[in-house]
Amino acid sequence: MSKKNEDIDTEFCHIPMGDGTYRDSDQKDKITRMIILGPGCEVSSKELLNFLHLLEVPINIRLTCYGANLNGYPDDVMYAVQRARELDPTHIFIKFRGFPPGDPRRCRAKRGGAREGFHQIEAEYKLLPEVSYALEHPKHVDLNPPEKIPVDEFSQIVKEIQSKK
Amino acid sequence: MKVAIFPPNSMILADMIVRSGHEPLVVQNQMKEKVTSPDLDAPPFNMTEDDPINGLKYAAIEVPSGVRGRMSLFGPIIEEAEAAIIMNEAPYGFGCVGCARSSELTVFSLRRKDIPVLELDYPTSRDDTVEMVYKINTFLDNLENNGEDEADD
Repeated sequence: MSKKNEDIDTEFCHIPMGDGTYRDSDQKDKITRMIILGPGCEVSSKELLNFLHLLEVPINIRLTCYGANLNGYPDDVMYAVQRARELDPTHIFIKFRGFPPGDPRRCRAKRGGAREGFHQIEAEYKLLPEVSYALEHPKHVDLNPPEKIPVDEFSQIVKEIQSKK
Repeated sequence: MKVAIFPPNSMILADMIVRSGHEPLVVQNQMKEKVTSPDLDAPPFNMTEDDPINGLKYAAIEVPSGVRGRMSLFGPIIEEAEAAIIMNEAPYGFGCVGCARSSELTVFSLRRKDIPVLELDYPTSRDDTVEMVYKINTFLDNLENNGEDEADD
């Protein structure tokens, strides 16, 4: 990144990226969320996109293979995320994202190959069917690990079982 | 309640925490602060020269600058954590989570804090995954109850 004074655009506060392009600083107050449709989801990503458009909130929506990326001011994005989750609460998952969609530092269109975060989604995607099942059938369990029993008691149990055979 | 998670970029853990009404402390939020600030030093990549210096709070000067740089990301998460969920043996480690020593130091710092911690093993079967979700939900619901009890006192 260039730090030369002549490279810095003081009028619009654009940050030079070092490759002749500038980065907007209007992203500072905005947030990005990824909506990920799990296996067995009732809606497709196209349906999700239509639904989000019909909400008419001022956010930037990007259709992806796994769902959608939302970028905008926190209130708008969280409203859209909440409404989208209502479509299928146990199969729609939300992931946080740091870089805005299409950021030249991470976007695969500029770099080539999958974005690093995509590998993470791919790895966790394999667990999602079971997670969805557990969310559909909620249950509380005991968090304390089972206690160890004394050796004498254990040998007694072994003897009892052997005597039954 | 603010809940730290490990791996700090996990989608499932963060999503479960949001579902239960708590706030997950994820590394993406720390990255967002860095990459969207209009600061002149906002990096095109992951580190600035200040990051290893900030990481000195957690690791000694002999520790590689990569570890200290990562600790400058994980540091605010550790500081703010009011509870933590740690998943051991998670097979993925992409981006800033890909350093074993930083991960050990982060988990160690979270364990050393006087906060409720739930430790899980990465599930390898269907039953384990379902059990993991039940454990996380129970832990998060208990947090809520404990918080209310303390407020009553």
